[in-house]
Amino acid sequence: MSGPLVVVDALARSFAGVPAVREVSFTVGAGEIHALCGHNGAGKSTVVKMLSGQLAPDAGRIVLDGEQVDLRSRQVAQRLGVALVDQELSVVPALSVLENMSLGDIDAPLVTRRRAAVRRCRELLDDMGLDRLRPGQLVATLSMGERQLVEIAKALSQRARVVILDEPTATLSDVESRRVFAAVRRVAARGCAVIFVSHRLPEVLELCDTVTVLRDGRRVVTAPAADLTVDRLIVHMLGEAPHRLETSRRPDPDLTHALRIEQLRVPGRLADFTLTARAGRIYALAGQLGSGASDVLRAVAGLHPRATGRVELRDRAVPFRSPVGAARAGIAFVSNDRKGEGLFLDKPVAGNLVATRLDRLGRGGLVAAGRERRTARSLAELAGLPPDRLADPVLALSGGNQQKVFVGRSLGRPDVRALLLDEPTRGVDIGGRAAIHRLLRDAAEAGLVVVFASTELEELLELGDVILTMRDGRVVDTYPGGADGAVLMRDMTEGKDAA
Amino acid sequence: MMSLLAAPPAAAARVRRARPGSLAVALTVLVVVLLPVAVTTERFLTLGNARAILASAALVGITAIGATLVMIAGSAVSMAASQTATVVAMVFLATLGQGLLGATLLALLTGVVLTAVQGLAVGYWEANPIVLTIAAGFAIGGGAIWFSGGTPVSAASDGFDVLNATPLGLPLAVYVLLVLAVLAEWILRRTTAGRQLYLVGENRAAARAAGLPVGRVTVVAWAFFGLCLAVTGVFLAAFNTSATTNLAGTLTLDAIAAVLVGGTAIAGGKGSALRTLGGAVLISVISDVLLLRGYSTGVQILVKGILVLAVVVLVHVRGRR
Amino acid sequence: MRPALRQERIVPAAALLLVVVAFVLTPLGTGLPLTTFDVYNALQGFAQIGLLALAIGLTMIAGEFDLSVVGTYAVGGMIAVQAGQSSAVLGLLVAVAVGAAVGAVQGALIAWLRVPSVPVTLAAYIALLGLAYAISGGLSVTFTNRAATLWVDHTIAGVFSPRSLVTLAAFVLVAVVLGGTRLGAELRAIGGDRRASRVAGVRVERKLVLLFTTSGTLAALGGALLSFSFASANPDPGLRPLLIAAVAALLGGASLAGGRGTAAGLLAGALSVALLAQIVAVAYLPDYSTQLFYAALLAVVVAIDSPGLRRGLARLRARTRPVGA
Repeated sequence: MSGPLVVVDALARSFAGVPAVREVSFTVGAGEIHALCGHNGAGKSTVVKMLSGQLAPDAGRIVLDGEQVDLRSRQVAQRLGVALVDQELSVVPALSVLENMSLGDIDAPLVTRRRAAVRRCRELLDDMGLDRLRPGQLVATLSMGERQLVEIAKALSQRARVVILDEPTATLSDVESRRVFAAVRRVAARGCAVIFVSHRLPEVLELCDTVTVLRDGRRVVTAPAADLTVDRLIVHMLGEAPHRLETSRRPDPDLTHALRIEQLRVPGRLADFTLTARAGRIYALAGQLGSGASDVLRAVAGLHPRATGRVELRDRAVPFRSPVGAARAGIAFVSNDRKGEGLFLDKPVAGNLVATRLDRLGRGGLVAAGRERRTARSLAELAGLPPDRLADPVLALSGGNQQKVFVGRSLGRPDVRALLLDEPTRGVDIGGRAAIHRLLRDAAEAGLVVVFASTELEELLELGDVILTMRDGRVVDTYPGGADGAVLMRDMTEGKDAA
Repeated sequence: MMSLLAAPPAAAARVRRARPGSLAVALTVLVVVLLPVAVTTERFLTLGNARAILASAALVGITAIGATLVMIAGSAVSMAASQTATVVAMVFLATLGQGLLGATLLALLTGVVLTAVQGLAVGYWEANPIVLTIAAGFAIGGGAIWFSGGTPVSAASDGFDVLNATPLGLPLAVYVLLVLAVLAEWILRRTTAGRQLYLVGENRAAARAAGLPVGRVTVVAWAFFGLCLAVTGVFLAAFNTSATTNLAGTLTLDAIAAVLVGGTAIAGGKGSALRTLGGAVLISVISDVLLLRGYSTGVQILVKGILVLAVVVLVHVRGRR
Repeated sequence: MRPALRQERIVPAAALLLVVVAFVLTPLGTGLPLTTFDVYNALQGFAQIGLLALAIGLTMIAGEFDLSVVGTYAVGGMIAVQAGQSSAVLGLLVAVAVGAAVGAVQGALIAWLRVPSVPVTLAAYIALLGLAYAISGGLSVTFTNRAATLWVDHTIAGVFSPRSLVTLAAFVLVAVVLGGTRLGAELRAIGGDRRASRVAGVRVERKLVLLFTTSGTLAALGGALLSFSFASANPDPGLRPLLIAAVAALLGGASLAGGRGTAAGLLAGALSVALLAQIVAVAYLPDYSTQLFYAALLAVVVAIDSPGLRRGLARLRARTRPVGA
């Protein structure tokens, strides 16, 4: 034994002058499973990106096995034995499990020796507890959990010394998570260093040897998992735990203008979900990736074809079988994927602001130019966008301004009665975030039903009048009038039954 | 960490600076190169030649105007244009006995229905437009032979002569081309459906999530394309006075070439009918210059291909991000 | 969604089975027994479109679409005839070399400039057509090497000819390369999920250049063999060969969405299309019925591959069976 396998020494990185990671140091030994914890924005993913070669540090060193390394690219990191398993899977659904194992492996022989490859694949699958999979099976036929396990198996097959797992269990069922844990333990036992990032605190304590907690880009503590409890971890992650003491009474909640959701189901994602959301209040769905929070919104917006249940807005049924029907019934949806499913990036700001109301800017199916200009200008003002940017393509705006365009698109429309937002401030800086929160508060006060889903504690506490915590497709608890940060965190990460 | 998703300032500035359009620059260069060659070409600068250029651009141009809408909507290209125009021509000629107006309306209806049905499958089912239109091409082409019995369909009366009129020395088709180009441009810029076409074409997932009527808008584009195809078919019929199964020849790809030279991106979301008109005329001008200078048909087609290739590369390299 | 694996095997198998059964049953309609000559003719038809179908099918597996193959087919035929008047082998080699070069240039544009393949290959098709016209003066060129013409079509074992055997050999070669090396998996990976392929470390750009070089080579070879057989080269074969090749590739289990398809499937698709044409000929069906058959078969493929249609069906199922799984 010659010291730790991985040494992270005073790593730092900022974005546009805002530090995301400040002088973070920790070490991971061979055979050790080391957890990185922290709530959203603490700097975990930035650290992971620097360790896996996707982002260059501004300062600090990374030492692998006693040798300082420069991880210029993901390929270089791979060659040095650093394997990353994250949500961006590298398994291709169109290929079989076997083919995926050697895909992109530069050391794989050009001519496949099928028999040997099948045997090796079989071993790796058995190692993961995937004994019911066949090597020849297409990845497209596997569940997300099984794909994740195949991804891990693949990372291992390519002779990794350091394995980084970034939220590997977020979308998995408990059974599948167990299999991942077992695999991770085997990997560590073989002498790899494992870095494990997860929001699920009980599993962190169960699985890992050591825990490093980050907060605001700084390392707060590194301690053996045995010395920690979920509560102490939460205290470390939150620092001064944000409380929401004032349960300020918002303007009279208006029942006649409510959004009623009854027994909404999405097979495999969401169990019976019921909520009556009143106009004038902001409802927050608190849940990590895979909790079902975002599925509620997508289903109501007509984007889950297999959703069933009943949705009413102002006592009229919302036909949520298609997005067109939902939109016509007065639902406006702001997706968490702003680029893929939100804005028209090459189109100017003005065109994006009026994109969903082109049918009401003139008569007889025409668009009146003057009215369009005026509408765009007044919306820009409403959303707090600089008027001189109206002609610029949205692509050229900052994340915050892009999101203002996305939200602003649904404001000031008498036909929109309910605003559903999935991660309303993803990729938005602090200033933009406050502005968007103000916009949503104004919208609620103007009589809209506002429901949003978020994984960010601060946002949930700041914005939610009523907070519903969710996990594994179910509501854990409902907190009318705000809640304590630690309580929310516990609901989201371990659920009620574990508490 | 949050600013990861935002465009860094440098990239934003680059995007803004690139806007003036390297395509416009390239076209200017092309014109500067072409102009001296053209004006020094004997007989290029004559009224007769100008007419010839416009006349040769007319039929392909009309189809290309319709194809522009389909391409802007993100449905790429149709491989069934020739067959549709041919069937329309046959319907027109066979029903001329009922009078010119009746025959024309029936012919237009045929074109619109045949093409709008394909639009339904593309818009609502998200069928792959290329595979679908290959199938439609076979069905329509096969059907045409079936109904015509494989023999040329000739005019049931000579009522079509008015379509071959040349007011002010220009074929009627040229006027129709100009009218359709202006109409298409107006639809694209001023109508709700036209504006939504650009949105659907640029980002179909976003248009869907926003609750825009993706299917309906797609059908509108295809129906207009059908109308343009039908107009082309009617003129082809009137000009040839009879229709065989390969009447429309290379219409399918010639139209796409004109749309591409007009700078419309195959991926959708960008483009203009007037630019397509420009593309069609440009192709005509270049072919004309080459013809007048004594180059063979082969060289003319070769140069057209290279022109299309150059514009396509330029448009996509510029539009990349 | 799971249909991928099944579809790439079921569609070609079903198509081939259907057509073979129909072929075997044609005597019931015509009253004339089938002869080995009918099989020979079907294989000649296969030779005519097989290499094009293979070329276009390979590009479809990788999520691209090479429209230029029919241009390369024409130019290849023209060059083979003009360069091969004294030595057919020389003509063939020159044609194939030109085809490879044409493909490589397009592949480079598509891979490194990231321009979509449809407009690039469409433009290349037009340019190649012009080239074929330019080198032939717009007329068919006669191939005077009678010996070569006779040789490429002479019957071997009753049903084969050197032309159909070369075509079959190309399929076998491609099948061996795709099945036996990592290239096959990489091709489907590129077509199935390009982002994930890059993350996994596949060198996508090089593979694309190789791919288009291959499709150009195959198309030129097909064109050359065809002109040898016809003893003349036609500068403009029209779009028809391209469309028929596309039908063969689609029936062969490839899809324009990419990521799907095998050499064996493509072979089945090409054989189906060739047999279908032969059935129509043997049964004295009108010519246009081939087109209607193609349309009907493609309609099935289109319907299977339409995401909107599938969503609609899922919605229907969810409504009729309200208790979710």
